[in-house]
Order: sequence, then structure tokens, then C-alpha cells
Amino acid sequence: MKKNLRFLSALLISKTAMLTQKLFGMNASYFPGKLAIKLCPDFLGQIDKPDTIISVTGTNGKTTVCNMIIDALTANGFDVLNNRAGSNINAGIASALIGGSTVTGKAKKSIAVFEIDERSSKLIYPYIKPTYAVCTNLFRDSIHRNAHAEFIFRIISDSLPSESHLILNADDLISAGLAPENKRTYFSIAPMNTDLPESINIINDMRICPKCHHTLAYRYVRYHHIGNAYCPSCGFASPESDYIAMPDFEKHTLLIRHTAEEECYPLITNSIFNIYNQLTAIALLREFGLSVNQVQAAFSKLAIVESRYSCETVGSTQVITHMAKGQNPIACSCVFDYVRKEKGQKEIILMLDDVFDRVNSSEIMTWIYDADFEFLNEESIRRIIISGVRCEDYKLRLLMTGIPEERLICVPKEIDAPDSLSLFGTDKIFILHELYAAKEAMNVRDKTVALLKNKAERREG
Amino acid sequence: MDKSKKPIIVESLFPEIANLFGDRMNIHYLKECAAEAEFIDTSLTDPPVFLSREVSMIYMGPMTESQQALAIDALKPHKEKLVELIGRGCVFLLTGNAMEVFEAYIENEDGSRVEGLGIFPQHAKRDMLHRYNSLILGEYEGIRLVGFKAQFSHTYGDNSGQYFYKVIRGCGIHPSSMLEGLKENHFFGTYTVGPFLLLNPLFVKYLLSLLGIEKPVLAHEETIMASYRKRLAEFENEKLKY
Repeated sequence: MKKNLRFLSALLISKTAMLTQKLFGMNASYFPGKLAIKLCPDFLGQIDKPDTIISVTGTNGKTTVCNMIIDALTANGFDVLNNRAGSNINAGIASALIGGSTVTGKAKKSIAVFEIDERSSKLIYPYIKPTYAVCTNLFRDSIHRNAHAEFIFRIISDSLPSESHLILNADDLISAGLAPENKRTYFSIAPMNTDLPESINIINDMRICPKCHHTLAYRYVRYHHIGNAYCPSCGFASPESDYIAMPDFEKHTLLIRHTAEEECYPLITNSIFNIYNQLTAIALLREFGLSVNQVQAAFSKLAIVESRYSCETVGSTQVITHMAKGQNPIACSCVFDYVRKEKGQKEIILMLDDVFDRVNSSEIMTWIYDADFEFLNEESIRRIIISGVRCEDYKLRLLMTGIPEERLICVPKEIDAPDSLSLFGTDKIFILHELYAAKEAMNVRDKTVALLKNKAERREG
Repeated sequence: MDKSKKPIIVESLFPEIANLFGDRMNIHYLKECAAEAEFIDTSLTDPPVFLSREVSMIYMGPMTESQQALAIDALKPHKEKLVELIGRGCVFLLTGNAMEVFEAYIENEDGSRVEGLGIFPQHAKRDMLHRYNSLILGEYEGIRLVGFKAQFSHTYGDNSGQYFYKVIRGCGIHPSSMLEGLKENHFFGTYTVGPFLLLNPLFVKYLLSLLGIEKPVLAHEETIMASYRKRLAEFENEKLKY
């Protein structure tokens, strides 16, 4: 696209803004791009782009997959432009491109990997035409922004450029149907002994056949609608996969059948969610053109950073903080499932209030009735301390799972929650906190650790 | 069980699609409050139970826009029966955009229309580019009602003779209306989600009495009332942002 004076002015001003922000030690991953688009609405169209663009979108796992792809490409000598330092909306993409361009708007790098917010697809794809477009999965998310999975599907599907080669999850019948005319490569995980015959989650947004609307039958289910399904009425079914993964948890390997060959990679995680993330990245890297050896070598050095998790041990008790993304029923259900499967006697501190809503308004709580709080109805979970303004709402939700009332304690202030822990005979204390309550969760953890230490000292004394 | 009493049958329509925003829990909560009632789920491909048995209540929750068309297609052959049931005082509770299925039509942004059941003369308009999120406070027969709205569409047309409840704060069937929902006899349609019954225990008691339960008892009464009172106090605070 020809560059006009307006674009060049916007580029110069936004580059100056970026430099100024960096001089002051600020994160320049959003404002320069926002400014550039404000000054020149088709800025993304006029700026030169790298020859190869890889986009990654989806409800869950896009940041993890993006990081894996960037790290693997970098390990193989590629210099990759990316937006992992900041925003994944159009302003973030613009900021990344501003940082990766010359003063005349020429791209300095030949490859870019961009994480893209699902809802921003329609603002980004008219200008950014990914060579490869990856979608991890599509689920219900925030009721405010994302409404429902069909709405997000439609936004992405209608926006994707026809020339983009799609990398899709065959085990997710929602995202598997994106932009049906596009070239596509599917990946899936072969049947596992932990598979279920049907979904046990409250949310399954793929219950009926998209063609004839009869009830779908599942050959196996991993979680929610993730699995392999078919329609007994019309024959519609999950697509055939180009990359079929078989994880071996004892050997820590991920065997992948691709065409007629079998490829073996180091398995860098034991969680099903992250196996899907690793598989997504491998399918993309192989389609991009990396050899098996190159991908193997990259994954032998990769690790998934668990920045949303911490564990401290006091005596025989572990104090574990774990982020449980509020307003996102899928993310919370996954965390609840993880907690119930952990061995030992457990106590939980819940601190899931939306920290912004409770200051500015009153939180819309519908999502707690989509989340599988039923997973917390376990004998091994001896006490749940529900903290925050909305504690009565959570208590009601937990009572509806059948948890006896004597196991539930409401505490309006989060920092007071540790005082209600039993601590006796408890192997693990889980502090499950909302995304933006991480700092408060650390305070709650420190207080819990102090209480445990005091108890140990008293016993010794 | 007193055999002279009419059995209470609650039919949930199309739970495989009409289940957004946690609203299926309206029925789960009713089950906990009305152990004597029979609860039946009817899928899109099943004949509705209200055709063959005398149901006391019909429930349908919010769904996606394309699924609204499926619900309309499934119910259209039974429009006359539905009109008869409304006239006879059968309880209907429709939450979220389920209410629009019973309206004349749903208009898309491009002017195209999805014909509804036409049981109510009002119509809905979609605006998929602008999601409407809000809190709502209202009153029905002396019961203060609270809830949330999260929707792409609004209903238009005069509902002054057929509204469910008066809005105190927030908006009714469209942003300029202070009359929420549609009501006819014991038909209650509302955009309010929450789930509506879990946010409004006093209305649950009223609903249970409509179903013929003489001394309604709320499940988890102390907790649900504490939750309701706290939210009501917040919603009645003039400083609260809606």
C-alpha cells in the first residue's frame, strides 16, 4: 500500500512517543500504536509488514502458544517481531510494527508472531494478512465482552483473510469450523485412558450438530466440548487430523503421527491443556517448515513458566496460590478440577471478586453458575473460606453443589481469611485468586505461612 | 403425597441450547425448592411435553442468535397450544433473549427479519456491534427485583399493558423504556439474567405459590436472603454505577 504524508507523520510522532516512553522506563507496547491509529486510521494498512506473519488467537492458551512459537523460532536463529511484551489488540500490533520498522515504515524483520485478541480480529485482519493463522480453541468467556462462543466464532471467521493457512484443533468442534474455505491443518490428541464418555462440565457449547441440529454423540471427551464427536443423524463428525499426538507421561515424550511418519518430541508438561498448547505450537512450526530435529531441539530447552502459581512449604503443609481467572468459567473450572485431583487433606481460600467492579459498580455474577464449583464438593476439601464482598453469592453457589454448610465460612475481607483456616491435619492450602488480586493473594499467603510457622513454634515450645 | 392435589410439572425447553449465562441454574434452584414437582427437559428434536401432559410451568433460558431461530422453528407448530396455555394461567418464565422467541419478529442490523411466534405484538432489534451490559433494579407487586442485563438486542413496541415489572434504575425492554419484559396472565418474560431466580428469592416464593405450593420454603434461605439483601442495598445506593 502506498504511504501518504498522514501515515509518515503518524509514524514519526508515534516513534517519538515510543522513544519517550522507553526513556522514562515505561512499557511502550500500547500507547504509540493507539496514537498512530488515531492520527492515521489505516496506519496498520500502510506500514510495511514482515514477509511471514503468524497470528495466534483463541479463548485459552494463546499467550502460552505464542511464547512457545517465538522461543522455538528464536532458538533456530530467526529474528522474530512480536507483541508478547504487551497488548494483543490493534494498538498493540501497531506498536510492535512501529518498533520493528524504519523511520520510513519499512519492516526491519522478515517474520512476525502476533497474539491477537479474538474480538479485535475485525480491526486487525483487514490490514494484517497472516501467512499462518492459529486458533487454540473457542469457549465461553466474559459475558460483558465476549457474549458467547458463537459470537466470537463469527467475528473471527468473517475476518480471517482467505489466503491465511489455518492451524486448527480438530478436538474443538467450534474453532475447527472457522473459515471453511481456507487451507487448513488440523491437530488432535489420540484417545487417552483419562478420557470421558461424555462431558461432565456445566458448559458444553457443542451439544447439537451444526448441520442438522440433532444431538451429537461423543466418542470421547476431555473437558467441556473438547473431544471427538459425530452426529448419528447426518454423519457430521470431527475432522481428520494431520498431526495426532500420543503423550507418554512415563517417558515424558510426545509422539506425533504426521503423514505416514512418527515424530517424537520432549513432553514439557503433564497438563492436558498445555499438551494441547505444545501440540498447537509443534503443528505450526512443522507447517512453517522447521524440521523435526529443529523442533525437537527447541522443545528440549523450553519450559512452561507458571507465573500464575506459587508453592511454599511449612512443615508438612503446602501453601499454594493459583490464579483462577474470574468471569471466565472455563478457566475456573479447570482450576477447581486440578484442586480436587490433588492428593491429601485440603483447605481453600477463595478470593474471586472482580477488583474493579467492586470499587466502581456491582459485579455481574452470572458466570459462577457456568463454572463447575461442583468439583469442590470433595471429602478431601475440608473447609472453604470464601472471602470478599460477594461471599454470600459464592456460598449460595457452593451450597447448590451439595457441600455441607459447616464446611463453608464467609469472610468479607480477604486478609482475614487465613484466621478461619483449621490448619490441623491439612496437607495443602489453596489460595485461589482472581487475575488482578495477585498482590492481595500474596499478602494472604504470607499471613497463612506466618500462622503455620507460629503453630509449629508453639508445638515445639 | 396428597393425591387430591394436581401434580406439578415443570418443563424446560431446549436445555441443550437455551443455557447461556448460567441461567439453567434457575431450574436447579427451583428443583431444590419444590421437591414434590416433576422436572422434565425437552430437547429440540423431542415433542414438547406440554402437548401431551398438563404442565404447570414452562421455562426457557437465553441462547445464541442462530439458536433463537431453531427454538422458533421447534415451537411454531405449537403456537395455538402455547396461546391456550398462557390463557389458562400456566406459568411461563423466559429469561434473557428467550422472550424474543414469543414476539412478532427479530430484526437484524441489515433489516432482514426472523419471524417469531407472534404471540406478543412487540418485536426485537439486534445490534451485534454494541453489547448492552447493565444492572437493573425494579419492582413487581411490592417485590424489589434485582438483576443484570447482557444482550445485543432490545424489544420495541408498546408494552405498557403487558410489562413484567417497573424499572427503578436501569432500563426496560429498550434503553428509553422503564417497563421491563412482557407479562400476560402468568407468563413472565424478561431480559434479566442473574440467574433471575437466584437473585430474587422473594419472587421465587411468589412463583412457588403460583405453582400451587401452599407454604413455599426457600432452599438455603438464610444465604440466598443475605445475598439478596446485600445486592439490593447496593443497587438502591444512588452512587452505584449502573
